[in-house]
Amino acid sequence: MSRAELSIDELTVKYPKVPRFIVLKIDAQRRGIKLTKSALDAVQVPLYRYGSHNGISTERDTELAYPGPMLLRDGTSVLVSAAVASQYEDPYTVDHVDGRFYISDHGNQIDEVDFTPRPDFYGKQTSRGIPMEAIASARPQRLDIQPYRYCHFWDTKDQCKFCGFFTDLKEQRQAAGDQYVKLLDPQDIYETVREALRESGRISQINLTAGADYSGDTPFENEVNRYVEVLQAIGKNFKTRRFSSQLIAPAYTKKQVERIYAETGLISYCPDIEVWDEKLFKWICTGKDKVVGRTEWIKRTIDAVEIFGKGNVYTNFVAGVETAQPHGFENIDDALRSCLEGCEFFAKHGVVYLSLVWRPWKSSVFSGQKQPPLEYYVRLVKELRDIRRAYGLSSDNDDYKHCGNHADSDLERVD
Amino acid sequence: MMITNTVATTLIVTSKESIESSNRGLEIKMARLSQELIGLLNDPATVKVVSTTDARGVPHAVAKGSLTTLDEELIAWSEGFDSSTSNKNLVGSIWFDRTVAINATKGAVSYQIKGKLYKCLIAGPIFKSFLQRARERRGPEADIAAVWLLVPEEERNESPAVRGTEEAEKRPFFHQHLDNASIKAS
Repeated sequence: MSRAELSIDELTVKYPKVPRFIVLKIDAQRRGIKLTKSALDAVQVPLYRYGSHNGISTERDTELAYPGPMLLRDGTSVLVSAAVASQYEDPYTVDHVDGRFYISDHGNQIDEVDFTPRPDFYGKQTSRGIPMEAIASARPQRLDIQPYRYCHFWDTKDQCKFCGFFTDLKEQRQAAGDQYVKLLDPQDIYETVREALRESGRISQINLTAGADYSGDTPFENEVNRYVEVLQAIGKNFKTRRFSSQLIAPAYTKKQVERIYAETGLISYCPDIEVWDEKLFKWICTGKDKVVGRTEWIKRTIDAVEIFGKGNVYTNFVAGVETAQPHGFENIDDALRSCLEGCEFFAKHGVVYLSLVWRPWKSSVFSGQKQPPLEYYVRLVKELRDIRRAYGLSSDNDDYKHCGNHADSDLERVD
Repeated sequence: MMITNTVATTLIVTSKESIESSNRGLEIKMARLSQELIGLLNDPATVKVVSTTDARGVPHAVAKGSLTTLDEELIAWSEGFDSSTSNKNLVGSIWFDRTVAINATKGAVSYQIKGKLYKCLIAGPIFKSFLQRARERRGPEADIAAVWLLVPEEERNESPAVRGTEEAEKRPFFHQHLDNASIKAS
């Protein structure tokens, strides 16, 4: 944190309706965490020992296991990994003292924290001998599956400029194939979900996402086929027609979305806009702009509400990326105004517009860029929540439990 | 740590002395519960009511059959729904440092506890134990949203006999009608 920035304590005084836990969550996502040796040793026990992360490779400086997502005392998830601590310039420190974990900032102890318990299915294998933690990963209450770990926007250097997904976090390239499996088998997914559901009270939602594959007669046709097959495989685990689930994917045609809804048990759909401003979208998300186009992306997102219903279509944006230079906003007020305009626009159409904290990964085009100050995020999450509430929207599929990655939806816990 | 009486699973949890840590995010002073109160809390026949307030101070009281003690120090109970008034008030209480009150009553014995919320658990061994117990009691379709842990700060015996004695000692003529059998001549 720069000395000019307001601290967590100062911000909770200035914005008394934003709880300290949420401000801490945002800043830990923004700045990252590192573990002391004592904390790293303490997470080697079965309760905390997570398997290897999938979808994004980690920079391992030790053979020891890292823990899963961090948990604050109020149940808030902080999706930040100490395994990539070398990416962070000024991370918080998590220590282990007298049997408890504590987070501190430059020696000042802030609060007790914990880590997500390791799910029971980790360490098991599918009938084909595939480790289940290579098929799915778990947040405190969510199962994440990435059936296809390669984004083809990277083939033409049209990847979103903030993205480090499916990379080795160092080089600007897709790492699937040499570091992890590119394409998952639906049978392995079915078996992994079945095993995950054996653990009582562990999973409340299943989330799918993948790298963009726009191949096919109609763009994304092969990707849609793949998702239908995977969702049908997952659906065999349930007695009910539909099950708590979300697909984060490109903005498909209405016909493609209707097909997914009709042929699978999916209940929510999330085509991410990433950045609201039109010129910045074209600059930052060149692949999405070339294959779909911003106007069409928005239209398709809104059309999906007719299929999934109000409040069941989401779109995430990478909060702060609209300040990336040289084309981004230079003024925080202008940046916030743009983000809130996007939220209001989508809310009017029944779409939930949610923020994610921007981290300029080394493997992304925006490596080395400066993030907005913490106060920007505090103002943002409060305003986003207020706008959505005014339009009668709640983020049921993306709340503190079913997702855990959005401070603005965390605030809805008391609404 | 043993979840007493209602949940018989043995769990390993570390020492709680550090709860009294003075960091600004966790300023909680723990009060040791009396043995009579611990016995009351761990008796399934005791009615236990959790009282919370919302941001405007509006109270909300709900009986919690799952409420018990952990290691005879922390108090724990499960909430069924994230969106219930009770659970929303609990979230507001841990966020904005509001006190939560609990009443435990069985027959003529009644206690009140006031305290601060320590944790909201949505996964892990304690959460799983409460869920398992809920399903044992209410069937396999039962579910819970969270387990809340409270650090008691104040314990008060509210049993009528005890309170009557306390008040009579302080103000012997203040609380009685003159036709009360204890003073009126026959």
